[in-house]
Amino acid sequence: MASAEGGAYSYSLTVFSPSGKLVQIEHALAAVSQGTTSLGIKATNGIVIATEKKSSSILIDDSMIEKVAVICPNIGIVYSGMGPDFRILVAKARKSAQAYWKIYNEYPPTKVLTQEIATIMQQATHSGGVRPYGVSLLVAGWDINRGPSLYQVDPSGSYWAWKASAIGKNMVNAKTFLEKRYNDDISLEDAIHTALLTLKEGFEGQMTEKTIEIGVITVPSEADLEAGKIEGTGRAKAAFRKLTEEEVRDYLAM
Amino acid sequence: MDISFALTGKGYVIVAADTTAARSIVKMKTDEDKIKVLSPHLLMAFSGEPGDTLQFAEYVERNIRLYQIRNTYALRPPSAASWIRRSLADSLRSRRPYAVNLLIGGYDTSTSTPHLYWVDYLGTLSPVPFGAHGYGSYFGLSLLDRYHDPEATLEEGLDTLRRCIDEVSKRLVVSPGKYKVKIVDKDGVREIEL
Amino acid sequence: MSIMEYNGGSVIAMVGKDCVAIASDLRLGNQALGIASDFEKIFPMTDRVYLGLPGLATDVTTLREQFRYRLNMYTIKEEREIEPETFAHLVSSTLYERRFGPYFIEPVMAGLQRLPNGGYKPFIAATDLIGCINFAKDFVVAGTASSKLFGVAEGLWEPDLEPEDLFETIAQTLLNAVDRDAYSGWGAVVHVITKDKAIKRVLKGRMD
Repeated sequence: MASAEGGAYSYSLTVFSPSGKLVQIEHALAAVSQGTTSLGIKATNGIVIATEKKSSSILIDDSMIEKVAVICPNIGIVYSGMGPDFRILVAKARKSAQAYWKIYNEYPPTKVLTQEIATIMQQATHSGGVRPYGVSLLVAGWDINRGPSLYQVDPSGSYWAWKASAIGKNMVNAKTFLEKRYNDDISLEDAIHTALLTLKEGFEGQMTEKTIEIGVITVPSEADLEAGKIEGTGRAKAAFRKLTEEEVRDYLAM
Repeated sequence: MDISFALTGKGYVIVAADTTAARSIVKMKTDEDKIKVLSPHLLMAFSGEPGDTLQFAEYVERNIRLYQIRNTYALRPPSAASWIRRSLADSLRSRRPYAVNLLIGGYDTSTSTPHLYWVDYLGTLSPVPFGAHGYGSYFGLSLLDRYHDPEATLEEGLDTLRRCIDEVSKRLVVSPGKYKVKIVDKDGVREIEL
Repeated sequence: MSIMEYNGGSVIAMVGKDCVAIASDLRLGNQALGIASDFEKIFPMTDRVYLGLPGLATDVTTLREQFRYRLNMYTIKEEREIEPETFAHLVSSTLYERRFGPYFIEPVMAGLQRLPNGGYKPFIAATDLIGCINFAKDFVVAGTASSKLFGVAEGLWEPDLEPEDLFETIAQTLLNAVDRDAYSGWGAVVHVITKDKAIKRVLKGRMD
């Protein structure tokens, strides 16, 4: 009965096994560790999140694939695991950010948005007729109270703040690599290079602007904060943005 | 229309309400009790739309009792008043609101203080040293402004109440004949003859 | 008979130099009949944000409880206290939730907004009963004496008043305006908020 694949406790419902494990969540984590590597590094003046973008066939138009997503002007996320599950979470996270904006006329702090996503993922481990999300996320954001912050969210719904972390295939190696490379006063530019170097470690094939995706948080200066308000839009400049293919190419060339 | 008065004094609250049950211009009954005893130290005089009044008063009575059964102790006057106010405020924006005005008098045994709340059918709540509902308020409140003393003894408090009732009898065209008077103090609730 | 004038009451807020003030009368009435002379309509939301709720008295209590709930949840979730500007939008969206069956309240807010450089900026605002925000630079008024308050404030207010002068200005504005309004008065309360303290003063007024 108890086979290698979870056996009797491998229902679509997430139920405890007698040893106290939730096997469905372990399966979800297995799905994540089969996914492509993603990582995030927090720097003194920003954050970088990056991922490997692999397509199974050269015939696929990879300009359509989006693995780093903007949630709101101050928050972006990247994932490892199942693409379709990520899409649903992105839609829910964006909706949640807009709902927050509608009440407070400002976007949610990173921690609040992360908790919101974590709650959605936790609920999938606790409801009937659903399976846990097959993704781990890295959430990078900036807000006036906590500054730049980087969170990881797992299929169980647990989340942590990191200075640097990696998820997906090769995450163990990547984390070891990051541990060696990381220091507390790394600049954003250095962090981007470290991110590329880390990805290169376990990379199969050629690293190009087509196979790498990067998102960055740039900590706004006091002048930036003021400028946004004066413009009449009342909006501060977006702290999160995705690097263009040209920018990625330039970083790869350096 | 119903008339009710209530006033605080040194360690007590007096609550009084007329006993007339009328339909149009006809007196149907002259011994109606319009003051509910909600808990050992809580009184509530109710007036307003006939039917709504008793229905709402009983609803409150049962819920206050339920709280006492569940928690083994009774709600203190401020909390009880707040709960009752919320019930009326929610009711106001429902399909058919209760039209009930209240005077909630209680004695807080843990702080040894008397409490009196003026509540109307909209859910307006205000702690008051004395209060009135109905036509009596137009005659009684000015007398209470003049004669009320928060440090008065029970006998002095009852004298002040008599002044109000006498004034209503003297000046109001449709004045009621009889009043029921209840007192709440450290010993609990009791009814007295004026 | 207007629902907005059923219980009476007025609130005013003013900007000073690195300070704000918010004041209200203390009357609770039933149309022309006075019920209480200690009915407060201004509530501290945080140490630096105050909210005034003139209008229908039942909704004063209901909204006060509603905002207490929403603010407690905000403070726990965000692990910080709300800023005045954010709070103004919370007030606005809370009222607009009831767009087609509104609370009969026209809130007035006053507070000190924290700036990115660590300083504080005076903030006042008012909304109508469905949450349309009016950000003012000088003063805002609401309630049954609002028309009179506008007139007196227009005459007495000047820019950059120090806390004590601002207190005098807002107190005189309120006291004199409510004397010309049958539904407001019966005493007043003034709050002056500066970056390191908030002062509350209860004033006597005409009792007629």
